[in-house]
Amino acid sequence: MNLFSSKNKKIVKDPLMGENPISIHVLGICSALAITTKIDTAVVMTIAVVGVLSISNVVISLLRNNIPNKVRIIIQMSVVASLVIITDQVLKAYMYDMSKLLGVFLALIITNCIVLGRAEAFAMQNSPSKALLDGMGNGLGYGAILIAVAFFRELFGFGSIYGAQVFSDQIYMGGYENNGLMILSPGAFFILGLIVWAHRAYTNVIDKD
Amino acid sequence: MRSDAYTIVFTTIITVILGLGLSATADSLRERQILNEELDIKKNILSVLGYKQDTPWTNEEVQSLYDSNINEIRIDEVGLVLDEVDKSGNFAYTIYQSSENNKVTGYAIPIAGKGLWGTMYGYFAIEPDAETVKGITFYKHKETPGLGAEVDKDWFKNNFIGKKLTDKNGELVSIEVVKGYVSKTDPEALHKVDGISGATITGTGLTTFLKSDLEKYEPYFARVRRINQIESL
Repeated sequence: MNLFSSKNKKIVKDPLMGENPISIHVLGICSALAITTKIDTAVVMTIAVVGVLSISNVVISLLRNNIPNKVRIIIQMSVVASLVIITDQVLKAYMYDMSKLLGVFLALIITNCIVLGRAEAFAMQNSPSKALLDGMGNGLGYGAILIAVAFFRELFGFGSIYGAQVFSDQIYMGGYENNGLMILSPGAFFILGLIVWAHRAYTNVIDKD
Repeated sequence: MRSDAYTIVFTTIITVILGLGLSATADSLRERQILNEELDIKKNILSVLGYKQDTPWTNEEVQSLYDSNINEIRIDEVGLVLDEVDKSGNFAYTIYQSSENNKVTGYAIPIAGKGLWGTMYGYFAIEPDAETVKGITFYKHKETPGLGAEVDKDWFKNNFIGKKLTDKNGELVSIEVVKGYVSKTDPEALHKVDGISGATITGTGLTTFLKSDLEKYEPYFARVRRINQIESL
């Protein structure tokens, strides 16, 4: 099987654009609102979700022919939860400062609908290699929106990009002030709403009903 | 449709495998995690006591600096120093005393209490005179970023430095976080710091638990002040 066939490319590319989990399917909103005050937390969150989503997709896909249908959600949930706990433990042991920064939201990847959603909708029907690509694609699609939201919130809320100050002291002396709303949850709602709007207008997605 | 027996067996096997995987991970990483937590606490104690460095501290630097400069003193409720070997399990408070060349350079005490969203944890450092504030730091809190979370920003923490814990008679008055700015003409200005706008509850919370935590240690620090007084005569 060719890993770079057009079909496989589509599996990775779709969630980034036309099938984006956040802006099109409106999944994973909770964490998109909670950890997007700064870009660095959004980046680590993205890495964690890409990792958990890829591995959980592969594991579920490997088990897909053996999982009894009536307990499939519970099995999926256990696999996802175990992976998240392991990620959390590894971060605590090797990236202690970052795990402090992400706090409870890392553990809350368990409740991220994208992970369970992809396990149920994709991994249960497809081969492990395809499931891996799908997990990576959806994780990156999620991360792209997360980082976009974080970019605007950090820029207008703190006047910085990825921790580097971009608005000079002169601008602040001239009367400019950081927008406190951007740091609070309503700021995230506004930015995310605008991004969803712009993205849907661009990809021409209209809700059928 | 698979049989119920198959479902039960399959679920059991998966649960056991996942459970074993989790316990193996947790067990193999536990030592490192505990070490990280201890180092983080030590880093906070060092920084509240005024130890600074341009580059981030490595774990070994934290450990050696802490071992050579910080002395942990355990006291009971009435301020008596407990013997190091006395591990009878009685409740004790810990004071972290920093010293250089056998001269005390400061004391740090743990502080904790309710902010707006949850418990805030930190350290509060006092100069060797046991009445001047040397610093304050927070290592864990759930306050709102940009509002209450400003407690761990330098502008807020620096306000505490040099403030006085005691009045003219040597009685403990603690430090109050006011609403807005401290007026320069306020006779009590030495016991007050500027508040954070939009974070009144965080400020009043800090005022309350700072006072109650300082009261716990007051018997010990009152004695330090008396000894200082006698020595200066």
